[in-house]
Amino acid sequence: MSEARALLAAGEEVLQLEGIYLDEQRWNEWIALFAPDCEYWVPTWLSEDTLATDPQREMSHIYYANRQGLEDRIVRIRTGRSPASTPMPRTAHLVTAVLALEPPTPELLRLRSTWSSHVFFPRARTTYTFFGYAHYELARREGRWVIQRKKTVLQNDYIPTMLDVYCI
Amino acid sequence: MDVSELRHCIDDRPEQGVFRVHHKVFSDPELFELEQRYIFERTWQFLALESEVPRPNDFVTGWIGRTPVLVTRDAQGEVRAFANVCRHKGSVLCRSERGNAKYHVCAYHGWAYDAGGRNVHIKDVKDGCFAGAFDAENHDLLPIARVERYKGLVFGSLSPAVPPLEEILGELRFFIDLAMEQSPQGMEFVPGRAAYTFAANWKFQMDNGVDFYHLTSTHKSFIAVQERRSTGKEGHQEARQFDWSKRLSQEAGAFQFRHGHTVGWLNQAEVEKRPIYPRIAEIRERVGDLRADWMLKLRNLVVFPNLQIADSTSLILRTFRPLAVDRTEMRVRCLAPIGEPPEQRAWRLRQFEDFFNASGFATPDDTVTYEDCQVGYAAQPLQWLQGYARGMATVEPGASPLARSLGIEPVSSLQGGFRVQNEAIFHPMYREWARLIERGLAGEEAYA
Repeated sequence: MSEARALLAAGEEVLQLEGIYLDEQRWNEWIALFAPDCEYWVPTWLSEDTLATDPQREMSHIYYANRQGLEDRIVRIRTGRSPASTPMPRTAHLVTAVLALEPPTPELLRLRSTWSSHVFFPRARTTYTFFGYAHYELARREGRWVIQRKKTVLQNDYIPTMLDVYCI
Repeated sequence: MDVSELRHCIDDRPEQGVFRVHHKVFSDPELFELEQRYIFERTWQFLALESEVPRPNDFVTGWIGRTPVLVTRDAQGEVRAFANVCRHKGSVLCRSERGNAKYHVCAYHGWAYDAGGRNVHIKDVKDGCFAGAFDAENHDLLPIARVERYKGLVFGSLSPAVPPLEEILGELRFFIDLAMEQSPQGMEFVPGRAAYTFAANWKFQMDNGVDFYHLTSTHKSFIAVQERRSTGKEGHQEARQFDWSKRLSQEAGAFQFRHGHTVGWLNQAEVEKRPIYPRIAEIRERVGDLRADWMLKLRNLVVFPNLQIADSTSLILRTFRPLAVDRTEMRVRCLAPIGEPPEQRAWRLRQFEDFFNASGFATPDDTVTYEDCQVGYAAQPLQWLQGYARGMATVEPGASPLARSLGIEPVSSLQGGFRVQNEAIFHPMYREWARLIERGLAGEEAYA
């Protein structure tokens, strides 16, 4: 395997683990995939065909300049006191079309994926599929790859009742 | 449903300390139709901010009840509103949410209209062999019967008989001004679309927007997250959220207004967390200390029936539109001063997203409980709800000394610690709801 392909494979593994950890509710492992200073961004659509480009000037579904906001999400779920999170929705993330956006280097990977997330809400006995694509920046830190930037584009943004980080 | 049956929906006996709402107000499918006809099609409905259509030919689309609406600024600079349907076959004319267009061309048979609603083109008209009767007809867009503005808010009504907007808003205007006068240049929506649905009646949102009682239970997990953040070291600090333990010991109150409007307020322990705080000197200068101080307090308004302007953790404007008796569409907008410095704009956004998004920490916990209520209201033994009683013993008819100090004349006033978490705040909305439907059923105009 060429070095570029090996690097891409290592990056794709992180992306796949992200979905697996969410589906299996392995929250600590999920958090650990992100660098402490990771930027996590889910922009809104400004209209039917224009996506927000600046989280400081435009609304985001979620915007965190670091990992702390993601940690808050897990704290909230773990309280067991969030009606939206009890009973916990069950999810299956499908992550595909992982490609490098620029030639991989041993220190930095810029990747894109196409994702869909099937969510079953046991409370309402309903199922919904969220889908879109995502851009990632992965950095090599202390011998492993971590996500230092993620932008998730939610293509179907007419949200049924609620959306949380495990839905995307 | 007839008038006598309607009287069994709201049990309103203030002299006996009773105010009860029957579950069918939320669950009877027949009421959906009556509400459309006698509430949504006869009241003023929020359409847009003037600042959303600043230039000639700018447009936004929206709804009044079931009617798709096109709001434009015409070539002469007037804000106009039309039923967003082509006169030819009734297809939705403008299929975009917003933009700028000198002409709107129907995608079906190509009829075209200008931004003033005038029909400017009927495709192949010369070869159409139309009879003279067709030529004699008006082919322009159907105007929304009434369009009026107040402090940058554009409202429309499908009823030509509705009294002037300012008269209907009445004394509530004091509180609308507090939201709309936060900048000398006016207010705008921060760009970005947040739209969601929930499988429950629209009135759950109407209530919940001024429901103080649910905070410490529905939002327990949010309060727990906030406690973690309060050390200043952990959690999403950029949201600069308010410390609930400080909030819950504050003085609070409500004012009931005519035409179904209601307001809840709470003193603000941490005024410095408001993104307008760095500009408060300019605001004081412009609107005076009293109004500036009130801009810093928590204020949640219901502009009956389906507009909420709330400033609890961030200034927002919500509209909610019934799609069915048990299905509602929500739009929530981040309302902000035009010309706000970038740092305060980002601060505002983080506060807004944290609490109010359907992907935030609080709104999802609200919407799922609406759905749980909707399921619960089918319970056969459940008839009258007990959720409209708190605070009834503190209601003072007319203007309290506080109301007089603000120069307003509410129908009634309430004041007490936050812990009262009063539910009397809902009463004007249900009184107006019942009044409007009763008028409709009796074949009378909505407003005498």
